[in-house]
Amino acid sequence: MKNLLLSLIKLLPVSTAYAHCDVPCGIYDPHLAQMAAHTVIRMTSLLDDLQAADKIPFEERKKIISQISRLTKVKEDHAETIKHEIRVLWGDYFKEEHLKAYPDLHNLVFKIMKLSSKARQEINIDAANQLLSAVQEIAEIFYKTKNVKPIRVKSVYPTGLEIISYQ
Amino acid sequence: MLLLSRFRISGHSMEPVIKNGETVLVSSIPYFFSKPKIGDIVAFRKLEQVFVKRITRIDGDEYFLKGDNKKDSLDSRDFGWIKKKDVLGRLIFKF
Repeated sequence: MKNLLLSLIKLLPVSTAYAHCDVPCGIYDPHLAQMAAHTVIRMTSLLDDLQAADKIPFEERKKIISQISRLTKVKEDHAETIKHEIRVLWGDYFKEEHLKAYPDLHNLVFKIMKLSSKARQEINIDAANQLLSAVQEIAEIFYKTKNVKPIRVKSVYPTGLEIISYQ
Repeated sequence: MLLLSRFRISGHSMEPVIKNGETVLVSSIPYFFSKPKIGDIVAFRKLEQVFVKRITRIDGDEYFLKGDNKKDSLDSRDFGWIKKKDVLGRLIFKF
């Protein structure tokens, strides 16, 4: 009887039910986004500092153009890294309970996306500095959700600006 | 609601109770006689897909569902409370 019942049940069509999961690492960190924000500031400063006389030899012009290209590429790449890292925290790490505790989180992420674009499009040190501040805000929220106390420490980077760590 | 339906499980969030690839039987019949209760493993519809999770909290006609494998689960902590109408049935048998 049991076998007959099981045989009948097995005639039922099978659908997929998801016991869905993400990669089970649980490892998230706002550090990369912060490093990238410092890099964007540094690249913007270096681009700002570039100078050339009116009439310079072609060979010298080539060097400057090459330098601008390299600095711009690194600035572009790191602004994109910020977007990627913040999207991962936002989409994979932060949960509804975090949004309740930090209701401005969505706006902050949106702000970072826009500032990252601005920092890419322009040589704009104000935008780059605002970008770092916004990323630092996310880092502080992240550490608070981990029940550790965020602290601001002076970085050892050429920007001389702070990074958010924790106690 | 499903009188009787067979599902193949995709994912690890209900391990060790239900493993990836196992087949389960889900039915709404038990809920004709009693309400869903905390601890029940249910199938429910969300994001146009069917998921299988365990009820961990109940608030009226809404249920908070979590995977047993909490470090590895997309569940109510991500998509919020599930309404009764979206609960398809209780897991009654595992092959």
